[in-house]
Amino acid sequence: MRLSDSEQTTPVQALVGPSSHNGLSSTNGHTLNGNGFGFFTNGNGVSASGSNRKNGKGSLARVNLPGQLLYEDSNVDREEFVRLLLQSLRDVGYTESAATLEAESGYSMEEPEVQRFREYILEGIWTKAEDALSRLGIVDEDNLWDAKFLINKQKYLELLEARKTAAALHVLRAELAPSSPEPSQLHALSSLIMCTDPEDIRQRADWDGASGQSRQQLLLQLHRFIPPSVMIPQRRFLTLLHQAHEDQLRRCTYHNTPIDATPFSLLSDHECNKDEFPGVTTTVLLGHADEVWNVEWSHDGMYLASGSRDKTAIIWYIGPDSRKWEAFLVLREHDFPVHSIAWSLDDAMLLTGAEHHIKLWDAKTGSFIRSMNEHTETVTALSWLPDGSGFLSAALDRKIIQWDTEGNKKLSWGTTDLRVTDLAVTPDLSRVVTIGMHAPSLSESGGAAARARPGSGDNTNSGGNPPTIMPTQNRCVVYHLMTRQVESSFELEGEVTSVKVSRDSQYALINHSPDEIQLWDLKRVRLARKFTGQRQGRHIIRSCLGGVDDSFVASGSEDGNVYVWHRDTGALLETLSGHGEGSVNSVAWNPRNQQMFASCSDDRSIRIWEAPPSELVTDAPRGHIRTYTDFSASSKGKGKTRQTDGDAEEIGPSPRF
Amino acid sequence: MGMSYRRYLHGERIYGCSKCRTHLTTISFMISRAFNGQHGRAYLFETVVNIVEGEPSDRVMTTGNHTVRDIYCIKCNTTLGWKYDKAYEASQKYKEGRFILERNLLIDVQ
Repeated sequence: MRLSDSEQTTPVQALVGPSSHNGLSSTNGHTLNGNGFGFFTNGNGVSASGSNRKNGKGSLARVNLPGQLLYEDSNVDREEFVRLLLQSLRDVGYTESAATLEAESGYSMEEPEVQRFREYILEGIWTKAEDALSRLGIVDEDNLWDAKFLINKQKYLELLEARKTAAALHVLRAELAPSSPEPSQLHALSSLIMCTDPEDIRQRADWDGASGQSRQQLLLQLHRFIPPSVMIPQRRFLTLLHQAHEDQLRRCTYHNTPIDATPFSLLSDHECNKDEFPGVTTTVLLGHADEVWNVEWSHDGMYLASGSRDKTAIIWYIGPDSRKWEAFLVLREHDFPVHSIAWSLDDAMLLTGAEHHIKLWDAKTGSFIRSMNEHTETVTALSWLPDGSGFLSAALDRKIIQWDTEGNKKLSWGTTDLRVTDLAVTPDLSRVVTIGMHAPSLSESGGAAARARPGSGDNTNSGGNPPTIMPTQNRCVVYHLMTRQVESSFELEGEVTSVKVSRDSQYALINHSPDEIQLWDLKRVRLARKFTGQRQGRHIIRSCLGGVDDSFVASGSEDGNVYVWHRDTGALLETLSGHGEGSVNSVAWNPRNQQMFASCSDDRSIRIWEAPPSELVTDAPRGHIRTYTDFSASSKGKGKTRQTDGDAEEIGPSPRF
Repeated sequence: MGMSYRRYLHGERIYGCSKCRTHLTTISFMISRAFNGQHGRAYLFETVVNIVEGEPSDRVMTTGNHTVRDIYCIKCNTTLGWKYDKAYEASQKYKEGRFILERNLLIDVQ
């Protein structure tokens, strides 16, 4: 229902419209020329001449429109559009409307042949289906063969399933064998002859039987060979609308609402409210006596564990909205600063890593359970396995060790070529992603170049270049978890300090100096995106993925800010200040509450970031919000006010009220 | 100060802290073996890693007056030797910016 301005402002012209041929789509129905109809095609037998139709009995006229486009200035083909409408109308049961539309437009959804072909497939009338197939406009001979093969494969499997072995054998020999695209496929199919149990056949063929979805599936597969102009792909209109929706979600830079809570209206574009983004500090956790180096949320999102240079770990109760936080348990008895933390899957136990020691704690009582001292160098990563079988530890001693849930050593992966600086296991249990300094155990190289000068002579360093420390090569090595075999390995620039994997197991997020975070596609072994803005030179800076569908990337930074990017565009969304002097060492997004994350800093504090409370969004004066929760209690806090004059108007009184 | 990992060296012969095996330097950075420390023989090195430097102080040594700083292992805090900030005698200037490690406090690590 679209009228261009010029069309609307000249009613006179509109009155004259019918005789002119400017193709006003709003004048449908004026250009009657009484073609009558006769376009019923799909055998649904519904007459277009419903008795309740207003514009005359049985005399619905075809509307002749000039050109082929839906609108003059669009590139949408009118016939295609109408055919999609027809398909949608029929799908929901508006068959009479569909017939009317066919009559009025002169377009039909599909040739009758196509409809019959579809019925033959769905009803398993294979000979007729094959016959009809040859009249569906498949030009490429190979495609025709492939399509026939698929139909005969279905036929063969159904015969086997019905225990008609002789007939199946005939199909195999006479029909499948000559048209099989690959010998291996034919071989796999012929091996099914030996199966006697239909259930066994379905399982081995990965096929759900004649009474299942397999015929629908077949139809979907056949679409690949049949020109879409002949047979429209199923629910094509809906597919296009879904694509539009997905595109809107991708463009929604602050998108952070779950799919089921996102109303999808066709009438307006989707866009999340920036006010709901966790961009202000609502709580500052104070309790550590030195730099806080790492934070990790419990799986239920209610507790946060932190590791500090003060040689303790603290379990903080945060609760649903961080208002009633408390330092729930303090885990002392570490001989060194605590830099690694990992919650067990049920949140009942916590692992801490301090230098080369690993300790296991009861996370409900704080009691110490046991120490694991197998590593000889700094333990850099602890990761529980998603199947509940135990956990992995990795260290700068190049070792990866697998432990059971009680902390008994199950097996060592041996000495790898990497001094591992971090490790992550994909949730689908397929991969272990490690990053670190490449250091083959037999260091035959490296020595020669560095030893340009014999080390024995006195005072020989005159004139020549002083020897320098060889730069380390940094790598990411991805293992297949079950086989512990290296699946892929690639070099990275600069010191690599953090790796996290996405919830869909597809991506690894890797921090490296100087100043860059990379998102790697694990399947394609390809750099997918870079994130820049944060500062990282000498320190272990960690990042995380978070929000609904892992839409955001957040990272600590040596400039004391927290940085947040949009994952799919790489756009820097927020530079959040508030922490005091020193580095923000780590960030962690709450796994349950998508509107909350935590950051920890050299300033000894942990900040909880949330959306500004709604009452303040609507009531507070402009620019006031960002400071309201800054308790300013941290010991070294410098000015904490977010410099927000620039974007404060976004937080002003909501236009909704 | 932030968190950082200790550095790891590669090369044929790596010297580490005898108490905690933290990498300190390699033989390719050695300038001289002809030094004495508080615990006997000591070596002069071009570069040493993973150490903390103490406050500077003037000390009179067998080869004259020097400004030096004690150096400590970054992990276990053991005193390992010292660093020369300044040598007052012209003939001793080559030591400036270099490090003494006591042989008895070093072990070979790999």
